[in-house]
Amino acid sequence: MLNFIIRRVAQIPLVMLALSLLLFVIIFQLTPEQRAAGYIRSEQQAAQMDSIIRQRGLDKPFPIQYSKWLASTVQGDLGFSRTSSKPVLDTIKERLPSTIELSLYAGIPIVLLGIWLGTLSALNKDRFVDQFLRVIAVLGTSLPSFVLGIVLLKFLYGSLGWLPGPGQVDVLNQFAVLDPTFKHYTGMLSIDAMLNGRWAVAGDVLRHLVMPVLTLVIIFSANILKVMRAQMLETLTSDYVRTARAKGLGSKAVNLKHARRNALLPIVTLTGFVAINLLAGAIITETIFAYPGVGQWVGDAARNLDISAVMGFALLSAVIVVVISTLTDLFYGVVDPRVRFD
Amino acid sequence: MKLKHTMLLTALLLGSAAFAATPKDTLVLQQSNDTPTLDPTANYDTGSANMIENMYETLWTYKGNSLREFTPLLATKVPTFTNGGKTLTVDLRKNVKFHSGNAFSCDDAQYTFERNLVTNSAESGNWFLAEALTGTQSNANDDKTVTWDKINKAVACNSKGQLVFTLPKADPAFLAKLAFSGQSILDKQWAIKQGEWDGTEKTWKDWVGKDVQGSNLSKNPSGTGPYQLVNRDANALLFKAFAGYWGGKPAIQNVIVQKIPELAARQQAFLRGDADLIEAGSRANIEEQLKGKPGVVIVDGLPNTTATGIFMNENIKASDALGSGKLDGNGIPANFFSDANLRRGFANSFNYAQYIQDVQQGKGKQRTMLLPDSFPGYDAKIKTYSYDAAKAKSYFQKAWGGNVWKTGFTLNADYRAGSVAAQTAMEILKKNVEALNPKFKINIKAKQWSEMLNDSKQGKEPMIIIGWAPDYADADNFMYTFYSSNGYYFPRSNWKDAAVDKWLDQARATVNTAERNKLYSQVANRAYEQAPYLLVPAGVNVFAVRDNLVGATAANYNPMLGSSSLYNGSPWKVLSKK
Repeated sequence: MLNFIIRRVAQIPLVMLALSLLLFVIIFQLTPEQRAAGYIRSEQQAAQMDSIIRQRGLDKPFPIQYSKWLASTVQGDLGFSRTSSKPVLDTIKERLPSTIELSLYAGIPIVLLGIWLGTLSALNKDRFVDQFLRVIAVLGTSLPSFVLGIVLLKFLYGSLGWLPGPGQVDVLNQFAVLDPTFKHYTGMLSIDAMLNGRWAVAGDVLRHLVMPVLTLVIIFSANILKVMRAQMLETLTSDYVRTARAKGLGSKAVNLKHARRNALLPIVTLTGFVAINLLAGAIITETIFAYPGVGQWVGDAARNLDISAVMGFALLSAVIVVVISTLTDLFYGVVDPRVRFD
Repeated sequence: MKLKHTMLLTALLLGSAAFAATPKDTLVLQQSNDTPTLDPTANYDTGSANMIENMYETLWTYKGNSLREFTPLLATKVPTFTNGGKTLTVDLRKNVKFHSGNAFSCDDAQYTFERNLVTNSAESGNWFLAEALTGTQSNANDDKTVTWDKINKAVACNSKGQLVFTLPKADPAFLAKLAFSGQSILDKQWAIKQGEWDGTEKTWKDWVGKDVQGSNLSKNPSGTGPYQLVNRDANALLFKAFAGYWGGKPAIQNVIVQKIPELAARQQAFLRGDADLIEAGSRANIEEQLKGKPGVVIVDGLPNTTATGIFMNENIKASDALGSGKLDGNGIPANFFSDANLRRGFANSFNYAQYIQDVQQGKGKQRTMLLPDSFPGYDAKIKTYSYDAAKAKSYFQKAWGGNVWKTGFTLNADYRAGSVAAQTAMEILKKNVEALNPKFKINIKAKQWSEMLNDSKQGKEPMIIIGWAPDYADADNFMYTFYSSNGYYFPRSNWKDAAVDKWLDQARATVNTAERNKLYSQVANRAYEQAPYLLVPAGVNVFAVRDNLVGATAANYNPMLGSSSLYNGSPWKVLSKK
């Protein structure tokens, strides 16, 4: 297993190199003027376009631009993000914990709810519960997250006032979290607030998380529900389940211990994808709810053609994909002991 | 110091906010914009300008809502030029402190302008300061005539502690240029302590062209303005009133600027009273979503300082845009628009009233020239074109000796992708021109901005719609840009008129206001006769404000302030809450 992990970790730089080369080739298809547009916000700045191209070296040949970027990246300098007005690495360090926090709060309910509802749906095949859940699954998979997010915002915040509005904390707590006595241990604000004993702040952060988490849960758990239902239905008709029933095992034991455990195998893979997709899903969700994570930043960066930011995010994504794929494969072995890593 | 301030702020807020959505002494602003920089030297966008204007101060600023009068800030009075418009001597205010605690002196002002001239990066607005003080828009990397000696002599402190600007030639726009927030006065000692340029000849070359957007000074600003930065995180900037401010204590003690990218989210927060001012989107957004809602006041009828024209390129350099390239009905020749009758025909084909109704919800204004009507030099008496099909037909019949009417034409025109206003304008023109003669065809299509910028710069666009927003409130900034054959937009219009060129050069060489105004009227009259552009009506600005906010009024609205495009166009220090 150790060899497997080492092999996977060793792949990371290679994947990143290939990805960066590919991205650079794609970006290089744009003209220097198109790339310089990322530095321009008005007609007045556009008047200086030639100087911008010259000063940024955007008119240099591909090998020079790529090698310059690679050399600085290898030294740990991912460049300056015009979107965040900070170095890319500092931006990632500042914002990634918030995205992880959102992904954790959303990811666990997504998987648990998806598995539970999928199981429930399969066990009640063609009954009202099943039909109802299938409708929910269709809605969840077909609703774009920006539509769902805005609808939730309009009703739960705007009309009913049950939940707080966009942002991570209320105005008062915004000042409180910037108090130098407030220690930022993890960068995840709800956890840091708890570690600081600031329960009101933690509560405020959690209340602000409800809508973005709800949006992600509705969108992503629908997929797991559908796959889980299909897997359960298949497993429930398999020979070993029939055998288990014939042996006189109770339906609870048959359904949950024998059928569900086997039905979970594809869910492990799907969970890996969910974790990866949460990062992409965060781009929309964080933008709608003004949540200060990497998703919001990279969404803006892509719109502004902030090349350093896009490249930095691509590298971060590569790391995350390789790490999660490795963990998924390892977890696959836990669920199914027949899987070997040799 | 920081700890004490923040704790005090928190305590104040907790006390004042117990029963309010936003506390009475706290202003909550929500915008979609980033704040690219807090370093005035790099500032050239409204998002940054709005913050910088409240933290830093220029020597003088625009008086109230006027664009023609200035009021002193760090100067004790607005100076007048001597030496034929080439020398400006500025008396500076005493007993002014920076947020760092350092005292303000002439040395700070000198350092500020020298730093702006030394760096003069391409993305900054320092090109127009450099043009006035060194005679070139470029920095020392791009123009070898820019030397340390030149920079050092352009701005200096005399023995009386006055700041003296020495210009190579008269620049009547210089006063307005210094009111731009990018020319705010820096705290020299503080800047050097942060690792910025040390202000000496020894190191100046290392800083030429340097982009200081993310400078240490941007991270840790220190100005003389009424508000100082407390802290900034990924989505918010927090400010507090500067206790040592020379201009008195403002009513609003805390300001929080939140980045809320989604318009719907900002609107909901505003309607619930969680935000006092928001970037509220277009007039349509304001009228449909906010107008008439409880707690909301709409301030309308405000000046707009963007001028937009439809360009008719008289020397089109793209063969693929010309179709057949001949006057045979299937295309146009490269010099198609060189006939004034044709341009007048187009000018009479545009339905100005319909554009105002469809795009500007009835709140638009037809201008007489490509200069904002609130600007000095604007002449309201110049004639304007109106939609008149009969007149248009008559001009088209005269154009190109009657050949245009006989053979017709196919014109390919582009508009900026995503701009509904530009698309609508082109569609109105297309419909009316094509209705005159079945042989007239206009094909319009959307084009990406970057592509359009590049093609238009090379003269490849036959007809496009572009605007210009001001850098400073002087007619030259618009008139030269649009109408001079040396102006920025010339490659897009290729309209050259020797008399107009002469008048515009004369107008930028004298500081006599009456004489300048006369020259600009002459240019506008000539432009009316020759119709090099089709003048798109200007919108009327509007903003929404919570009804408990005092001071956010038309009287305090200045369109030259960074906040005019996002909130209410007035400095935070004039606001209070009831």
